[in-house]
Amino acid sequence: MSRRRFFVGAALSAVVALLAGCSSRKSDRPDCSKPEVFCVGLVTDVGKVDDKSFNQSAWEGALRAQKELGAVIQYIETTDAKDYAKNIGTFAEEHHDAVVTVGYALAEATQAAAVRYPDVKFIGVDQLQPAGAEKANLASLVFAEDKAGFLVGALAAMVTKSGKIGAVMATDAVPPVWRYGEGFRAGARHVKPEIEISLVYHSDVGIDRTFTDPEWGKTTALSMIDKGVDIVFGAGGKTGNGALLGAAEKGALAIGVDTDQYATVPEAQKVLLTSAMKRVDEGTFDLLKLAREGKMQGGNLQGKASYAPFHDQESKVPAEVKSRLEALEKGLMDGSIKTSVPPTKT
Amino acid sequence: MGSRRLAFVTLIVAVLVGAAALAGAPRVAAADVVVSMIATTLAVATPLTLGALSGVMCERAGVVNLGIEGMMLSSAFFGWAGALYASAAWGLPPGASLAFGVAMAIVSGGLLGLAHAALSVTFRVDQIIGGTVINLLAVGLTGFLNRQLFFERTGPFGGVVPRSPGVLPRLHLPGLADLPVVGRIFEQQPITLTAILLVVVAHLALFRTRWGLRVRAVGEHPRAAATVGIDVRRLRYESVILGGCLAGLGGAYFTLESVPSFEPLMTNGRGFIALAAMIFGNWTPTGAFAAALVFGAAQALQINLQLFRDQIPPSWSFLQHSSIVGLLPYLLTMLILTGVIGKTTPPAADGKPYDG
Repeated sequence: MSRRRFFVGAALSAVVALLAGCSSRKSDRPDCSKPEVFCVGLVTDVGKVDDKSFNQSAWEGALRAQKELGAVIQYIETTDAKDYAKNIGTFAEEHHDAVVTVGYALAEATQAAAVRYPDVKFIGVDQLQPAGAEKANLASLVFAEDKAGFLVGALAAMVTKSGKIGAVMATDAVPPVWRYGEGFRAGARHVKPEIEISLVYHSDVGIDRTFTDPEWGKTTALSMIDKGVDIVFGAGGKTGNGALLGAAEKGALAIGVDTDQYATVPEAQKVLLTSAMKRVDEGTFDLLKLAREGKMQGGNLQGKASYAPFHDQESKVPAEVKSRLEALEKGLMDGSIKTSVPPTKT
Repeated sequence: MGSRRLAFVTLIVAVLVGAAALAGAPRVAAADVVVSMIATTLAVATPLTLGALSGVMCERAGVVNLGIEGMMLSSAFFGWAGALYASAAWGLPPGASLAFGVAMAIVSGGLLGLAHAALSVTFRVDQIIGGTVINLLAVGLTGFLNRQLFFERTGPFGGVVPRSPGVLPRLHLPGLADLPVVGRIFEQQPITLTAILLVVVAHLALFRTRWGLRVRAVGEHPRAAATVGIDVRRLRYESVILGGCLAGLGGAYFTLESVPSFEPLMTNGRGFIALAAMIFGNWTPTGAFAAALVFGAAQALQINLQLFRDQIPPSWSFLQHSSIVGLLPYLLTMLILTGVIGKTTPPAADGKPYDG
């Protein structure tokens, strides 16, 4: 009897969990089927549109399109990974001109939707399309993580007092993580060849866990700081955030990743030097503009890799370091400086 | 713990620490590496120690507890949520919020212990199943509540995670922490220090008190214990609830002592490594602690080997791969469990429901 009682309980909790998996939606219903109305729909990865991360950056790009291009914009916040295709389909069925999908996890659903709705322009943020399988109505916004890593690596090398810098990373089996790390190394060596660099990867757990282990990230950062490292680059989701917290506890400088982490890890604000950034907002807007003008082409498009403002550390970064960093960024953009990092681990 | 086993543990830890010092030798003073290794080892070993103590308490009374992982995960969540509520909703100062969080973690661990005791003692469900149920329940419950409370607009904080009260402060042990070089070892946080203290307390309680003798009797031969007037069920309830509280404190380590945030599945299998530590420690508190230190040192070594990757000689180049170095803790677990250290003996009535 006890067993039956237990199974009834388990079934009930499963039902509750299922009910929670619906989507929230904001809409004011313009007529998107008219050609003069440019409708943009944005589907977030699991999470909210003001997540202070990629969802928010992409939405800011859409907001700019609203202001400058007169676009009608809407979003759907995905609450469950199972709903990606459904949410994308909702916008396509309502005759939106462009659909933005945010994040690597939506790549598959976006590619399928691009085939199913050939009249809709799709923009996939941070979704690399496999070579040879590019679709004419799907533009993927991709980023050279090695360039962003290069810039913050160079900055760290110029700012460090001990001559030792470190990076706490998720696993190198994930190519973007590896490119951040190798870019960091290349950038630091570029400005200071004799610098000591420690890269530690969290490769002792699976890919599903490597980004969500802040305890490991912090422990690793503390261990680095014990050995004289005074700037820690944390790149790997929540694992990297743990490293930023470790740096904050010991008063070492920290460098965030992907977006400006001054907003996402408030506990580390006072030590955050900068963040290696993917300018998702700019890239999304540029692609929406092209789509509006009917000039958007399919394939992978390189977005801008940059670094975040220095915030609390602004006064501690010397002017010549700032100007050198700007020169490096320009060099990376026009190709006169190369990171020499291959796309995947060799 | 026998002297042979103690020697073996000391040897392994010494080898692991020595390997790190060797790898870092040209760049960092050996003493600094050793001190850093020990500090990392103690921190990493904390949840393992508490988890293993939880296992020892339960199994010494004859109840197998596979649910340590789930107990730690849910306590990590409830402790964190409690601290956030205390600081953001009720406006308590950080210290009080954290203390409340720790209390919540211990209570929620104890409640899951109670649930496990009810399943295995009163309803006599297969104890392996009972523990598995707790693990599954914890994953679903924490993921669901985390989303509902902190990530839904309709939640109490409007979908924005409020600013955390931080983590438990590092204690400056007077005298010890001021020592040159080794002082860093003694700058630990409260749960880490409490865990070490609890090893001693659990040892004394199990092997030096009447209550402990009864718990062990119940775990070895419950019928014999019952014939001399011991209340088997009551003792099993007590031990398992106590075990839950210990795992709860271990869960608090993740979100209240290490980092001020909760992530789904953040205990990352450490509850199962704690089980391995319990077995390796031959169901004794001191042995479990020693085993936790071995795993902690292995974890610390894999971080340090990566730190010093550039200096590893070419003939050892396989150690330059993070994934190979990452295998270390798991390889050690397997080696140790396959009996390198000799036979371990569980309590005779371990896992058997008592129906007297």
